[in-house]
Amino acid sequence: MSFDWNLISVSFITVFLSELGDKSQLAAIALGGSSSSPKAVFFGTASALVLASFLGVLLGEGTAQILPEQLVKGIAAIGFALLAIRLLWPDEES
Amino acid sequence: MPPADTEQTPLKTPQVTETKAAFWGVFISTFVTIFLAELGDKTQVATLLISAESHKPLTVFIGAALALISTSLVGVLLGQWLAQKISPETLDTLAGILLLIISVGLVADVIGL
Repeated sequence: MSFDWNLISVSFITVFLSELGDKSQLAAIALGGSSSSPKAVFFGTASALVLASFLGVLLGEGTAQILPEQLVKGIAAIGFALLAIRLLWPDEES
Repeated sequence: MPPADTEQTPLKTPQVTETKAAFWGVFISTFVTIFLAELGDKTQVATLLISAESHKPLTVFIGAALALISTSLVGVLLGQWLAQKISPETLDTLAGILLLIISVGLVADVIGL
């Protein structure tokens, strides 16, 4: 199987550009700067994105049927709110 | 996020459990939040379109994965760079506000859909 380098670069550039300034990158910036373990933020972010993208390639359109998008985004919204509150909480002891 | 309780493991020195627990606490909370947010995200659509059209999903996935790792790295490095420029308290507040904006954005997405 010949390795299709221009296909790799096309998907790299497309995804890279669409991710720039995306909420996951903004979260990486916010968490990366404020977290006690930025390495954990990097590994958490990168593995989450790669897994979500893998599901995207694997399941194709099927992803939407399996995981109701509104519920998933709702839980993600709560997750981000929790992370925010943990940062904004006045008597942050650590 | 439940605080990482280190009291129950008296055997290990507190510092070791502290950093380990801190690492995993941050890893899991970051992973879960971003994974869920990313599932319905447009990046998925971009990856799908290319893989469908090219019939080489693995190649597309490798390109996409490298891009996602790079943007995550750029994001965290930028955050660290900012951490040197801005005082921790201000950065925490700004980071908190930014995360709240993302959260509200997601809620708006859900309601708007």
